[in-house]
Amino acid sequence: MSAALRPLLIVVVLVLALAPFGLPPFAMTLLTEALILGLFAMSLDLMFGYTRLVSFGHAAAYGLGAYASGWLLLHTGMPLLFAVFGAALLTGVVAIGIGWMCTLATGVSFSMLTLAFAQLLYAISFKWTSVTGGSDGLAGIPRTPGPFGFAALTSKIGFYYLVLACLVGAFLLCFALVRSPFGAVLRGIRENEAKTIALGYNTRLYKIAVVAVAYALGGLAGALYAPFAGFANTELLFWLLSGQVLIMVIVGGSGTLVGPILGAAFFMLMEHQLSSWTEAWALYFGLIFIAFVLFAPQGIWGLATGRLQMGRLRRASGP
Amino acid sequence: MSTVAFLLTQVVNALSQSALLFFLGVGLTLIFGLMRIVNFAHGALYMLGAFVGYSLSHWSGNFWIALVVAPVLVGLFGAAFEFTILRRLYRRDAPAFLMVTFGLALVVGEAVRLTWGSDALQVPAPPLLADVIFLLDEPFPLYRLFLVATGIVVAVAIWQFLERSRLGLLIRATSQNADMASALGVDVKRVRSSVFGIGCGLAALGGMLAAPLVTASNGMAATVIIDAFVIVIIGGMGSFLGSLIGALLVGFVQVFGNYYLPDLALAFMYLVMLAILMVRPGGLLGKEA
Amino acid sequence: MSGQFRPSRRAMLKVGLAGAATVAAPAILRLSAEAQAGPIKIGMPLALTGALGSVGQQQKRGAELYAKLQNAKGGILGRPIELLIEDTAGNPANCVRKAQEMVERHNCRLFTGITLSSEALAIVPKLAEWDSIFISSDNGDGRLTAESFVPNFFRANISGPMGTRAVSLYLRTAKLEKFYALGLDYAWGHNSVQVFENEVKKSKKEFLGKVFAPTGTKDYSSYIAKIRQSGADAVFLVMQGDDNNAFLSQSRQYRLPEKVKLLTEIVDLASIRAVGDASLGLIGSSRYSFTYDHPLNNEFVELWKKEHNTVPDTFEGEQWQCMKVFEAGITKAGGIEAGKLRPGLEDIEIESVKGKVHIRKCDHQGVQQGFMVEVVKPAGFDTPIPQVIATFPGASTTPKCNTMTFED
Repeated sequence: MSAALRPLLIVVVLVLALAPFGLPPFAMTLLTEALILGLFAMSLDLMFGYTRLVSFGHAAAYGLGAYASGWLLLHTGMPLLFAVFGAALLTGVVAIGIGWMCTLATGVSFSMLTLAFAQLLYAISFKWTSVTGGSDGLAGIPRTPGPFGFAALTSKIGFYYLVLACLVGAFLLCFALVRSPFGAVLRGIRENEAKTIALGYNTRLYKIAVVAVAYALGGLAGALYAPFAGFANTELLFWLLSGQVLIMVIVGGSGTLVGPILGAAFFMLMEHQLSSWTEAWALYFGLIFIAFVLFAPQGIWGLATGRLQMGRLRRASGP
Repeated sequence: MSTVAFLLTQVVNALSQSALLFFLGVGLTLIFGLMRIVNFAHGALYMLGAFVGYSLSHWSGNFWIALVVAPVLVGLFGAAFEFTILRRLYRRDAPAFLMVTFGLALVVGEAVRLTWGSDALQVPAPPLLADVIFLLDEPFPLYRLFLVATGIVVAVAIWQFLERSRLGLLIRATSQNADMASALGVDVKRVRSSVFGIGCGLAALGGMLAAPLVTASNGMAATVIIDAFVIVIIGGMGSFLGSLIGALLVGFVQVFGNYYLPDLALAFMYLVMLAILMVRPGGLLGKEA
Repeated sequence: MSGQFRPSRRAMLKVGLAGAATVAAPAILRLSAEAQAGPIKIGMPLALTGALGSVGQQQKRGAELYAKLQNAKGGILGRPIELLIEDTAGNPANCVRKAQEMVERHNCRLFTGITLSSEALAIVPKLAEWDSIFISSDNGDGRLTAESFVPNFFRANISGPMGTRAVSLYLRTAKLEKFYALGLDYAWGHNSVQVFENEVKKSKKEFLGKVFAPTGTKDYSSYIAKIRQSGADAVFLVMQGDDNNAFLSQSRQYRLPEKVKLLTEIVDLASIRAVGDASLGLIGSSRYSFTYDHPLNNEFVELWKKEHNTVPDTFEGEQWQCMKVFEAGITKAGGIEAGKLRPGLEDIEIESVKGKVHIRKCDHQGVQQGFMVEVVKPAGFDTPIPQVIATFPGASTTPKCNTMTFED
């Protein structure tokens, strides 16, 4: 990200922070969900865009986070904040195991292993009825206030600010991560893993670490979704969601962190609007993706920054 | 039912399911081997095969005509898609293909719903195969035996095609090294169109043949695409023989697993895949680690 | 360089926020006025596409014909009916979002038709917050009127346990002694098979075993082998959609029905058409069938034929009945606000296509007759049809209040 974009991002965050004062209730509902999905897509970008670890099973992170926070909120009376971060932490810890096993393989085999773990979790969510509610899932998940009666985050707007704070925090974390020496090694793995190994790095450890971080943040997104929507169910672990989040990242522009957030918002809003205009929405949705691949290879972020670049060039060369 | 009769019928059942899985998997693996594309639209094309087959057998009143023509039509559609869209993308990386085939899956899926409606449609087995035969006094549908036979015929045909025919040779050469093949004067573009078409046609053949067992329905695509992925990955991406072994393994594990441990039915396939990839990260016959 | 952007950005932000505010303010004023006199909005987040698209489409057609005919008669309380129909593709996340939009943007306070039970279970806990009434037209999950019951939920349709109960009442007098059960491996399948098992044991007949198949199973040969080996006279099926079609097609190919009678919790036309003659001889409970001989049903079937040139299917009839319950409740309450409509609907009794429907107060279940049908192919029909072979009074097929169990 060029330095010129930084003030722009600050402005965007400010606009988002002011959004509740200007937007009608349903726009806030959509915005909250878009930010949650944005966090989810951004977490995948760490693996996908920066390390070229293509996960076909990122729904595992989202679903695990959602079930964990849902269960904690329903059954332990734990305050919202603790449940959400506890669930994210749990997802990250589980991901160390998943990452350890998946990184035995590379390329498409890695993708398929992530898919296998996600589908196993899906099967577990179906069968472990006493904890997951089986096919019914968990419903009526509350936003428990606390600790010490702290209830500011449980209202609709308060919850929006929690989501926004999580997204901004996660973004800053990812941003710092990819610019650190750690991030340099990740990019090394992306470009040429053999060379990175030859340089003396234990790339597998780096890969496990990035899987853990990506899953923890994906889990955070899921952990926010459960109290946002009030339910967690097997669909949140299904492979379809894994495919969708992959598309969100690509359509937004992988390897940019911001792009996937935009991609997620675009995906969700597009699906929502198209499907209310026409029953045949999937047709147009599909055509949009094909058009994106053909005409906007760098995704939404590429389009946006390309336009900026061009505008700047034009201005520079103008009178 | 005697134990021997039970085992015999279950083995033939497993073979018939393996045949259906093989049609799906071999197309996917051929496409991957040649173009490094993970075709997300494979399930949608399988479904398209079933619906086109439904219409053809309805109009012609003949299952066999439909069985031959439907895969050809879907194959031509696949080749046309390669020719018009995929061809522009070969310089691009994997994400482009993921998204474009994901888009194709949505488009084909919805086109099917718009054309044939939401209700499932009946594709009866041809009268010749509607009967049962008795395996050790147990009634067994002839149609399933026919599936086994078709699976064997198609597997041998593809194998011979890859080994003996000129196009097969070109496919193998291009799969090994596209640049080298191109330098040697192979028309790589045409090879790619053909393989994508053949792969899609095989998926459609699978859909058409599965339709008498499961009817032609809108839900077909979503459930098979993952099966196809698993088969291909178990066998090793890009390996013809691998996809055959993968299909057999998954077919047998599911048929016997569903019987002995029905509680694990959802998980079998993935457990097998995990076990295999843990030992051989590239799949049974895969080259890459 | 970026400095040049600042003024324009800020200006845009201002315009954006002000614009949003002006859009929002009059909308709120308009909505509160509308609530008393405008159209009666009924929200229907439906699975119009995807694996259960067939069911969602039926619900849509059922509600649309009702709204069309009722609006021609002047609507309800002189207010036109406006259906807000949206596709969820069967995904609860979409369903919650669409329903929320209906509440927050369109000020819709009435819901029906939410296709999947998983979607309904996600919506139900929010009804109080939304101050909305939801009348189910197809959700079979027994929990909705038991553990998951909320005061703003009503069920006009026959539930899964009620269908199962009709089958078991029928079996008490049938010459079948030994039973096996095959259900889909999710809540509905497990609940219904459990009810069936209890009922069989109560009637002193033999229950040999049960097995559950995951949804999306394509090959039923292993399950067919299990059923055959169990030595049962009859197998009770709790299946729907593609799985049901696959099982019926394959069991016919294995000649299973020659040895084992197939009983099912739910018979619908879409499945019968999809599997053709493989459905012949199937006996099961029916939530609604166009073959019920009742004056109101005959009239409905004629209306349907005029509109669609075919006969109505299960959820078209169920949705029609559900709309009639809405109509009666709103008329009695004199409004659509949840606070008025809830007591209006409680204890209401209407005459519908299935005869009397009484919405009981304790768990808001519509008490109605149970029907058993057999799939037959009478002369003059190309495809098989369900024919009513027994009816049971609602008192005997409806479970005890807030439970999934039955007395006697």
